[in-house]
Amino acid sequence: MKKPKGTYILHVLIPLIAIVLGVAVSFVLIALTGISPIATFRELWKGAFGMTGKVWPLWITLGQSTPLILTGLSAMCAFRVGVFCIAQESQYVFGAIVAAWLGVALSLPSWILIPLVLLCSMAAGALAAEIPALLKVKLGVNEIISSIMVNNISTLVLEYLVAFPMRADAGQKAQSAVLPQKLWLFQFIKGSRWGVSFVIAVLLAVGLYFLLWKTSFGYEVRMVGQSPRFSQYGGVSAGGVTLGMMAISGALAGLAGSMEVLGNYHRIMTGFSSGLGFDGLSVAMLGLSHPLGVFIVAILLAGIRQGAQLGLQINLQVPRELGGVLIALIILFVALENIYKPHVEAWVKRLEGGKTKAAE
Amino acid sequence: MHDILSVLSLNLLMSTIRLTTPILLAALAAALCNKAGVLNLAIEGEMLLGSFVAIVVTYCLNKYTPLGVVNPTLSTYLGVVVSILFGGVLGVLMAWLHTKWGVDLVIFSIAFNMLASEITVFLMRAVFHQNGTWTDSSIVQLPTLAGGYNIIVYASWICVIFCMILYRATRFGRHLKAVGEAPEAAASVGISVRNVQYIALIAGGALSTLGGSFLSVGHLTLFTRDMAAGRGWLGNAAALFGFNNPGGTFLASLFFGFADALALRLQNVTKIPPYMIQVMPYVLTLVILGFVSWRAQKNAQKYQL
Repeated sequence: MKKPKGTYILHVLIPLIAIVLGVAVSFVLIALTGISPIATFRELWKGAFGMTGKVWPLWITLGQSTPLILTGLSAMCAFRVGVFCIAQESQYVFGAIVAAWLGVALSLPSWILIPLVLLCSMAAGALAAEIPALLKVKLGVNEIISSIMVNNISTLVLEYLVAFPMRADAGQKAQSAVLPQKLWLFQFIKGSRWGVSFVIAVLLAVGLYFLLWKTSFGYEVRMVGQSPRFSQYGGVSAGGVTLGMMAISGALAGLAGSMEVLGNYHRIMTGFSSGLGFDGLSVAMLGLSHPLGVFIVAILLAGIRQGAQLGLQINLQVPRELGGVLIALIILFVALENIYKPHVEAWVKRLEGGKTKAAE
Repeated sequence: MHDILSVLSLNLLMSTIRLTTPILLAALAAALCNKAGVLNLAIEGEMLLGSFVAIVVTYCLNKYTPLGVVNPTLSTYLGVVVSILFGGVLGVLMAWLHTKWGVDLVIFSIAFNMLASEITVFLMRAVFHQNGTWTDSSIVQLPTLAGGYNIIVYASWICVIFCMILYRATRFGRHLKAVGEAPEAAASVGISVRNVQYIALIAGGALSTLGGSFLSVGHLTLFTRDMAAGRGWLGNAAALFGFNNPGGTFLASLFFGFADALALRLQNVTKIPPYMIQVMPYVLTLVILGFVSWRAQKNAQKYQL
């Protein structure tokens, strides 16, 4: 059975409206600080998707979007199986820890070591994801609350590791040793952070699309996500499917952490993740839990963060937190969709009605 | 051995109580909302905004008062009061969105916490041109009263006792329980689910911002980015750890505060890493949550026909 076209339009309209409203509110906010909002957004755009200079801002944005695509896909996997897991942060951190540890501890040829490190990080992320998943499936513990606990635990574990056992130098900064250069992932343009990991992320997005919509496992996942009890009657082991999908979800976030270590920072330090998990969550929500949506939104959000980081503060004295404020506002308006959804629905219906009449 | 003994001192007790206060207020807020059947994850953000509002209002009253000179101590008190009112307004907003529009408070809270964290720094930069920490010499700390603590500490204890009485001995307490456990049943006997949730979210917001103002003008006299630093989440954990009862919540918060104080103290006195102790509250909360759910599941099986 095919859904009527209107529902698709409606699905896409809601995030678009949220973005417009978010931009509108931040417009007002910037105007209140006495700076021209138009100039601000022009600068933001230039800093995010500009194609000038030695290293184009666009390349940097694409590089920054890599972990967001992966944590977004990770959140998407959890949402699709009906688990509102917000522990991407912890999976990301554990993946990064394993990468920074194994990368220094093992001395193997790089063609074995890199895949080995990536796989171990994925396993670490998957294990971290199984904590809230097992607690939910076996005991019925609210996954949101357990996710928060796991997130906090991972932050403290990271801080402990970089301050004591993995600390590289006795200097001011608590950080681990730099990985040997042979492990650094290839970057397309030097200094852009845009490299091989982006390609892997895109391939995984495509792979997940096929997994979710073209395989029987994907069908089971979506069925469990929509109605676990119904799927149970249909002969699907809801618990098993949930645990399996959560392992995939964790592995994706773990991979994100690992590739950020190998391809970008080459070490871990305190504050390594800085809210990346929550950004992944935002990406999945705004991207309608669809791989294509996740891909587009990840680039958009990375662009907002990057654009606010680069020129805004220096050229216009607009605080660089504008990027974060804008993202938060957009998600806020996604959360408030119930308020404007009926109007949009009516509008779409009227549009559809008009079209069919015209066709007659 | 000497090291370990020197850790336990009166100083430790004092700092335990000081560090407990914001966690306790957040925990009481979380417990109240849990009891009313709304999972309030915005406490962290409410706390952060509360500490920002308290210090900014205090500053403004010192600087731009139309009523002549205000005593700096009085303006600090007024800052706290405004912060509490602000928390109440946030509660009204959340309750309105939840009861009138059916907004998913979990997603709302995630966005709200993010917004709180970013907008406080945004405003700090835009208005005060500071990026990490902001303070002003005109701001006076809340004065310590008899007993060595400021009014918010005592207020938090009074809130515990008040909640005990409220839950056990009042009509509202019974309504709260009914709404939290079976909203349909409560509605069918004429209890207004809406009103109960309104009150819980308003009081929860006020308690959270009170805890926040303790951080900025009670404990210190400055605002730093992400000042709440996870205390709101600790409050959520403490409420669950204490089974949402005021007494249990109080003990859980005290334990978390003690862990915090001990971690700080160990850092100064010994070489034991503080993180081991700081991680305990979260691990224990996970264990407790698992245990509670396991017991509930077993009970449910036992009573099944």
